[in-house]
Amino acid sequence: MTVKSSVEIITEWDIVAARQLGRNEAKALGFGTVDQARITTAISELARNIYLYANIGFIEVERVETEAEKKIVIIASDKGPGIKDVRKVMEDGYSTTGGLGAGLPGVKRLMDSMDIQSIVGEGTIIRTEKRLC
Amino acid sequence: MKELEKQYKKILSDYMIDKTEKNLYIGQNFIRQLIQKNVSPEDVVSIHKNAIAQIFPDRIKEVQSAYDFLIEVMVHYGMAHREHQSLLQKQAEFEIEMNIATNIQKTLLKTVIPQLSSVDIGMISIPIRKMNGDYVHFLQDQEDYLSVAVTDVVGKGVPAALCMSMVKFGLETLEYAYKDPSYVLEVINRVIEKGVDDSMFVSMFYGCLDIQNNIFSYASAGHEPALHYRANENTFYSLEAKGLLLGVLPEIKYSYNKISLKEQDIVIIMTDGVTEFRAHDDVNSREMITSLIAEHKHQSAQQLCNLLHKEIERIQDFKLSDDFSVVIIKKK
Amino acid sequence: MDVLIHFKEDGAKLCGFVEGEIDTFTASGLREELEAVKITKGLEIELDLSKVNYMDSTGLGIFVAFYKRATREGGKVKLVGLSNRLQRLFEITGLSELMDIETDKKVEFS
Repeated sequence: MTVKSSVEIITEWDIVAARQLGRNEAKALGFGTVDQARITTAISELARNIYLYANIGFIEVERVETEAEKKIVIIASDKGPGIKDVRKVMEDGYSTTGGLGAGLPGVKRLMDSMDIQSIVGEGTIIRTEKRLC
Repeated sequence: MKELEKQYKKILSDYMIDKTEKNLYIGQNFIRQLIQKNVSPEDVVSIHKNAIAQIFPDRIKEVQSAYDFLIEVMVHYGMAHREHQSLLQKQAEFEIEMNIATNIQKTLLKTVIPQLSSVDIGMISIPIRKMNGDYVHFLQDQEDYLSVAVTDVVGKGVPAALCMSMVKFGLETLEYAYKDPSYVLEVINRVIEKGVDDSMFVSMFYGCLDIQNNIFSYASAGHEPALHYRANENTFYSLEAKGLLLGVLPEIKYSYNKISLKEQDIVIIMTDGVTEFRAHDDVNSREMITSLIAEHKHQSAQQLCNLLHKEIERIQDFKLSDDFSVVIIKKK
Repeated sequence: MDVLIHFKEDGAKLCGFVEGEIDTFTASGLREELEAVKITKGLEIELDLSKVNYMDSTGLGIFVAFYKRATREGGKVKLVGLSNRLQRLFEITGLSELMDIETDKKVEFS
């Protein structure tokens, strides 16, 4: 079973809505308090990046529950400027020195895995998952 | 994690009862374990919260949400903490790479001091950082000729070392022409001018000793003038030679001078790390060097180099501010 | 100790006043400032170094790079107010023959 919901990020308050959605879904799936906080923080960072650098975008939260696994999937998508060098933004220290807010490597560490697709001038899609074990 | 929670709860409840320094010390050792196991700050708060819930089951309701709030806060600290750890690891990797590079440079730019029966040669070259921006290159042809190049790259560290490898290979390919100082400088100048950026240059003093005829010919590309001690006059002369730094302009001509080198004469070639004292601009370094050499002129060339280094290090309070290289050639 | 530079336009001439110690660590700031200078054909740039109390070879490199760029782009660079020590540095390196340099020495009677 997969439950999908999404929040459009336009204003700063939409970040709060995205956080709320993420926490509800994480709780419903059975994540503990600490992991709920991690997932919410990850969503918060991704949504903030959209708000700051792309102006408009979406945070999608998928709750996946099958026989084999239980996991939460977050997809952040925008039609912003895109990332020129993905490898570089995944390097520690880049965001803190470059002013990009909390870095993507940090978000990746809060979750289990992360995948970035970005085309300069077209936008960015970041997909990140956390399994319940 | 369950095991850690159990231990933490035990340590915490022991402390709540006894409140002794020993309890705290046990706690400290436990935290050390947590750090070793990479337990994140938010997990520590969670462990604490769960321990409190078990020790004071009737009170946890009041503070539960305060702990949850703290967990949220700590997630951010944890993020910063983990980034820091990952940067530390990266730094360690850089350090290893740097050490390898330093060793390669040491092998690559190793100077072998020739042993000759009629000329006594001494040399010292000490980098201020890991990598040396000075380089000394000797070349000899039996007991007939000895040539020496003393070079200093503008700048220090890795960029300087990279540039220096270029100079070395330039000098090596010029083996056939080592007797002509002007030609050597002109070719190396072209190599550097083409190869590196606008703010990277090299200064070089190049000298060639015709051992049989006792003639020392030399040229300089923006380098500190060498010194010549004439034994029969007991006087020092500055080996002035005009010439632009290597790598500034493409087609530069260099002129060279000749002196005759008699028995017991000494030539001292150095880089600006030897003559420039940043913190002591009142010291006349050339005067100091000449009087030191004059006083100890009977010592071997290598002893003189070591002595000079020791003395200058002392004057600069053992904190040299630049790469330091000296070559001393003594006619036996 | 840091190095500072500020510019003043004086008719067709651009005057830069450099102050402080120029070494490997402070050099990059000065380099950026000089790289940012827009050079137009015929522009005269005068850099006053009388308040530079130390400069190592890295500093020298920065001025040469600036000189080379300015010459390439049709500008003229002059260095003024050099202390004896700085002047010696430019002399030894052969740069005083290449670049336009004026010392702050008083005119000596011959």
